[in-house]
Amino acid sequence: MASVAAWLPFARAAAIGWVPIANNPLPAPPIPKDKRRPDDEKLLINVSGRRFETWRNTLEKYPDTLLGSNEREFFYDEETKEYFFDRDPDIFRHILNYYRTGKLHYPKHECLTSYDEELAFFGIIPDVIGDCCYEDYRDRKRENAERLLDDKLSESGEQDKYIYRSIRERMWRAFENPHTSTAALVFYYVTGFFIAVSVMANVVETVPCGRLPGKKESQPCGERYKIIFFCGDTACVMIFTAEYLLRMFAAPDRCKFVRSVMSIIDVVAILPYYIGLGITDNDDVSGAFVTLRVFRVFRIFKFSRHSQGLRILGYTLKSCASELGFLVFSLAMAIIIFATVMFYAEKNVEDTTFYSIPSAFWYTIVTMTTLGTLDIVGVENLNLTTRTIGAACSLTLIFLRIIFSIFFSLFQNVIVKTQNGIRLDGQRNGNVLKLIMPKESYRPLFSLSIEVSQISLAGPDCQRYLAGLLDQLDIFDRQQQHYFRCLGRHCHRRVWLYTICTFLPNPPPPSPPPPPPPPPPPPPP
Amino acid sequence: DVELDIVEQEPRYKPKDINALCRTTHFTRSELQQLYRRFKDRCPTGVVTEAVFKDMYFQMFPKGASSSQYAHYVFSNLDKENTGVISFTDLIGLLSRLYRGSLHERLRWVFTLYDLNGDGCITRQEMTSVVQAVYDLMGKHTDTPVDETTVEHKVEALFTMLDTNRDGVITLDEFMEACSQDNTMVHNMDTILNPL
Repeated sequence: MASVAAWLPFARAAAIGWVPIANNPLPAPPIPKDKRRPDDEKLLINVSGRRFETWRNTLEKYPDTLLGSNEREFFYDEETKEYFFDRDPDIFRHILNYYRTGKLHYPKHECLTSYDEELAFFGIIPDVIGDCCYEDYRDRKRENAERLLDDKLSESGEQDKYIYRSIRERMWRAFENPHTSTAALVFYYVTGFFIAVSVMANVVETVPCGRLPGKKESQPCGERYKIIFFCGDTACVMIFTAEYLLRMFAAPDRCKFVRSVMSIIDVVAILPYYIGLGITDNDDVSGAFVTLRVFRVFRIFKFSRHSQGLRILGYTLKSCASELGFLVFSLAMAIIIFATVMFYAEKNVEDTTFYSIPSAFWYTIVTMTTLGTLDIVGVENLNLTTRTIGAACSLTLIFLRIIFSIFFSLFQNVIVKTQNGIRLDGQRNGNVLKLIMPKESYRPLFSLSIEVSQISLAGPDCQRYLAGLLDQLDIFDRQQQHYFRCLGRHCHRRVWLYTICTFLPNPPPPSPPPPPPPPPPPPPP
Repeated sequence: DVELDIVEQEPRYKPKDINALCRTTHFTRSELQQLYRRFKDRCPTGVVTEAVFKDMYFQMFPKGASSSQYAHYVFSNLDKENTGVISFTDLIGLLSRLYRGSLHERLRWVFTLYDLNGDGCITRQEMTSVVQAVYDLMGKHTDTPVDETTVEHKVEALFTMLDTNRDGVITLDEFMEACSQDNTMVHNMDTILNPL
């Protein structure tokens, strides 16, 4: 605390204001040990040829460093009357400035390792790096550590960093991250293959397959090769059922798993088959049975486990649900307004189509969504259901266009993150970008909220901050708080940290900022 | 046409010639050099604002102490024209008076510290405020707990000792006379101000 030392005389002087209050005599002041100390002198420090001069008092501000203590006498050169150090003079400049100003700066162009070595040599702990440079230092340190770790891993060929205690954990991990082991990868591709086969079978079985002898019209393939299709369907369903049961077994929190979207899709995909097994060829229920078969098409959504893009589309839908809702609402408003106007305009006309306001709705909707052509061409062949479905199809296209425009703006951010080696799914909600970083499935899913106002998310600054934050999330100590304060001050944003613990036996409730549970033990080298 | 942002110039202050300071204060040349160098390190612009002053006190008395009130009184005492800043000359004047001055000068300064409005007498109110501020410096963690009555008793005791004509205020003369005869006080002053 150099600045405090500078003020001490003033503070002591002002302290005589307490004197009237003191009851008893004050204790004697500490006598400085060396009364015969000469006046402050200048020391010469020679670092690899570059000479630095400074007052002795400056160096002795920090007595537990090399320069501030007697340790420097080991480097004293009697002949030239200077302290000689055979070290890097560029970095020494920063070290000397630390003594002068009390703040240690980290130069961005210097290699982190060499800087660390110099600090270690001169006995300075990196904690004293000033706020302005601290976050940069931590970034580089984390990058270095990661790179070293990657090198080590690729050397030893060890992919798995953690020891998992039970088969269940291993299975769950294999399900969530197919790239961790060969078996998982095989499983991943097999299920993908069967999903594709199942969907194709659904399509192909309706294709007319040629004429059976003795029949007038051609049959769809499903009728002709009934046995084959049935066997194929059975095989697929068995695979899917097995997969679902295995996932349910491996899931750490079964209730949560059952309630999750993917498992519901799984169930919906296989249920029609089982219901179909149970139903006999009864005419009454066969209509319902046929409807059930429609649900087989939901198998296509199982692909979302295999495609990150689909998942992101899902996130987009969820995140812009409110905007879509507003869109629907405003459309409804406009439809009602125009329908009403049209009805009253046509009221006096004889035999008009718009005999009531709802009948004007159809016309308004069709016109507003530019569906008009569907209604004009071959309208007599289509019944109302088909027309409605046709309209829904066109509306879906419009909504998809809107969704994709939002989706692509989000998608870009996510891709940038992944290219940098950090896998982050992101969703943006207005001004807040929420990043979900699943490092391991058994560890907490950290969700970070950063308020984004002006900086571009794809910029290098944000990535470095995020990279640093990833590191910090593991360790909950003073440095983390300090780091967040730096971050907040550096980019003038508020940073919140939520820990959403999923798939752990006893998840703590999310609250900002809670301490995360301790990380799993590191593997033996 | 380039529009320049008008940056508000922070008040800067350069002390007068070092020789002049040597003459007006009781310090030697090398002492002045050392003191000024340390001062300039901390306040490069040459002036100390109240915030910096309070911060300095805050660093000295961490943990639970509320040092801002006492710092405020000292600052106001030094900043007589109420400019909001004090310069090196003011500080060095204070140091000179206290460290190298006579007992008379020291007591006089203490009186001006307690006399908040500068009218030449210390009222009960002023004394209470200052005593409270000093107790605040110690913070909440003291051996014997401090409460409102402690301050009251202390103020009463002081008035009994210092207000010799019992008129409810303490004037400069009363203060000087009473304090110079109190050996404890004299001793304490010397103790605090002994080394520089």
